[in-house]
Amino acid sequence: MTKLISFDIDGTLEVGDPPGCITLDMVRAAKASGCIIGSCSDRTVSNQQRIWETAGIDMAFTVLKHQLDTVKERFPAADYYHIGDTDLDKQYAERNGFHFLLPDVEVVQLWEGGD
Amino acid sequence: MTNSNDFQWRRDRDGLGVWEHRGKVAIAGYGHSPVDRRWDGENLDTSLGAYTILACQKAMEQAGVTIDQVDGIVCCDSHIAGGSGGSASNWAPRPYFAPPYDSEYGITLINAQWLIGAMGFKNVKFAPTGVPTIGEMVGMASQAVGDGVCNTCLVIYPTGNLEGRYRRGGENADDYARGARQWTVPWGNHGGNDFINIFPHNQYCLKYGGEHDDLAPFVINQHKNGMLTPWGFNVNHGVEPITVEDYKTSRYILNPLRIWDCDRPVNASVAYLFTTAERARDMKSQPVYVLNHSQHNFRFRTTQPDLDEVEMWTDRQAARMYEGAGMGPADVDIFNPYDGYAIMTQFFLEGFQWHGVKRGDAFAFYAGDISVKGPHPFFSSGGNLGNGRTRSAMYTDSIEQLRGTAGDRQVTVRAETALCAFTTPSSGGWLMLGKYPS
Repeated sequence: MTKLISFDIDGTLEVGDPPGCITLDMVRAAKASGCIIGSCSDRTVSNQQRIWETAGIDMAFTVLKHQLDTVKERFPAADYYHIGDTDLDKQYAERNGFHFLLPDVEVVQLWEGGD
Repeated sequence: MTNSNDFQWRRDRDGLGVWEHRGKVAIAGYGHSPVDRRWDGENLDTSLGAYTILACQKAMEQAGVTIDQVDGIVCCDSHIAGGSGGSASNWAPRPYFAPPYDSEYGITLINAQWLIGAMGFKNVKFAPTGVPTIGEMVGMASQAVGDGVCNTCLVIYPTGNLEGRYRRGGENADDYARGARQWTVPWGNHGGNDFINIFPHNQYCLKYGGEHDDLAPFVINQHKNGMLTPWGFNVNHGVEPITVEDYKTSRYILNPLRIWDCDRPVNASVAYLFTTAERARDMKSQPVYVLNHSQHNFRFRTTQPDLDEVEMWTDRQAARMYEGAGMGPADVDIFNPYDGYAIMTQFFLEGFQWHGVKRGDAFAFYAGDISVKGPHPFFSSGGNLGNGRTRSAMYTDSIEQLRGTAGDRQVTVRAETALCAFTTPSSGGWLMLGKYPS
C-alpha cells in the first residue's frame, strides 16, 4: 500500500498565508510518485478546492483541520503523514495516527524515497 | 509631552447629563492605509510607520487640512498584540533600519512624537502619551477639541502585525500558568476576551434558549458587509464569503467559540481628523458631529464575570451614552458595536435596545433581515469579522453612512445618527455621531 500525505496550507504551502516552503511543484511530485495527497486546513473546504483547481492539482481529499480523522477512515494506506507548521497540526496529526512533519524541504524524501 | 492622565477627559460615570460639547466637535476626514495580513519585515513602504503616515495624509487631504493646521495628535502608543505579542509584536533583537525606522517606533509602535518628527508637524500643542485604544481615544480627542485644548486633532490607531504567531509570546509562551492564569490557561492559550465572554454567552443560551450556532447569520452578514468595504482586508485578499455550513463545521477555538467567531489580526493604520464644528463647516468634506462620548472600565466581582454582570454593565453603558447624547434607542439609525469575538455582540445589541431588541431577542433578530439593504441594517460596517482587526470599521462606516458615501453598504433606512464603539462588555468606549449638530 502507498503513503498518504496531508498538507496544511497556511504557513506550509507557498500559496499559504503566510507562505510556507512547500511548493506546488513539490505537491505535484508527491502525487506523481503515487502518494495519496490532499489538504487539511482551517480554510473552508470550498476555498481549499479552489486553490487546487487553480493549481491544476487533483487532490484526493480536502478537509477541515479537525476532521483529519475522516481521511484515515476513507483512504487505506500503509502510512499516514501530515505536514503542518503549528502545534495544532501536530496535535491533530498525532491524535489521529498520522506521522507529523514540519514543512521543510527535507519532506521530499517522503515521496522521492519511494514506498 | 502631556500624559493622558493629566487631562481630565473621561466621561466614565453614571448620571453625567448631556455632554457639554454636544454637536460642537466634528470629524472632518479619515484615512485608511492598505490592510495587510502582516508586515514582511523588509519593505519599509508597507511598514506600520509608513502606513500611519499614509493614513494621516489621507485624513488631512479629505478634510482639506494642511500639516501646519494640525495642533493635536492623539495616537495610541501601545501594541495591539499587547505584552504577550511575542515575535508577532517586537522587532528586536533584529537590527533596525535607517531613520525614522531606527527603533521599535515606526516598525511596531507609533506615538505622537515619532509622527511629529517623521511628518514634520510644527504646531502640535497637544500630544499626550499613554493614549488608550481607539474606543477611548476618540472620546479623548472629542473632549480635547471641545475644551479648546487643541482645535484640529489627528486621532491615529495603528494595528501592527509581524510575521509569527500573534499573542503567542510573553507569558503565553511560558510553560507555567502563574497567578490567576492558573484558572484559565490550562484550558487553552487564550487572549482574554474569548475566555471571559464564552461563559456568560453559554449562560445566555441557557437562560434565553437557542444555541451557539444561532450566531451564524450574524457572522455571515459581517462577512457580506466586509465584502462591500473597499479598504478592508477580506475584500482585498480573496477571503471568500462563508456559508452556514462553513460556519457550523468550522473548528472550535474554545468550545463553542468557532474560528469564524474570531477576528483576523492585520497590519494597518487609520487616522481621523477631529476639529471644532465651526471649523469643520469650512473644510473640504462633509463633517459629522460628535453628540457624545463615553468610557467604562467596570470592576469584576470575581475572576469570571457572569451573565448578570455583563448585562448590568452593558445596560449602564447604554444609559450613559443615551443620557449624554440626549437621545434614546429609537433615535439611533446606524449601530456599529464591537465584534472582536462574535459572542460579545448580542450583549451590546440588547443593552442598547437597538431597533427594539430586548434581552434574549438577539438570536431571533439575527435570523431576520439584518442586511444593509433591509429594514434592520445591523452592524453595517462588517466590523472586525468582515474587515480584519483594525477596530476602526465601526467608526469609518458610521461616518460614511451619515455622509451618504457608504457605496454598496449605504443603508436604505434613515441615516442621521450613528453609534460606534470599540469595547468589551467590561471596558472600552462609545461614540455617538450625528449628521447634524443638534
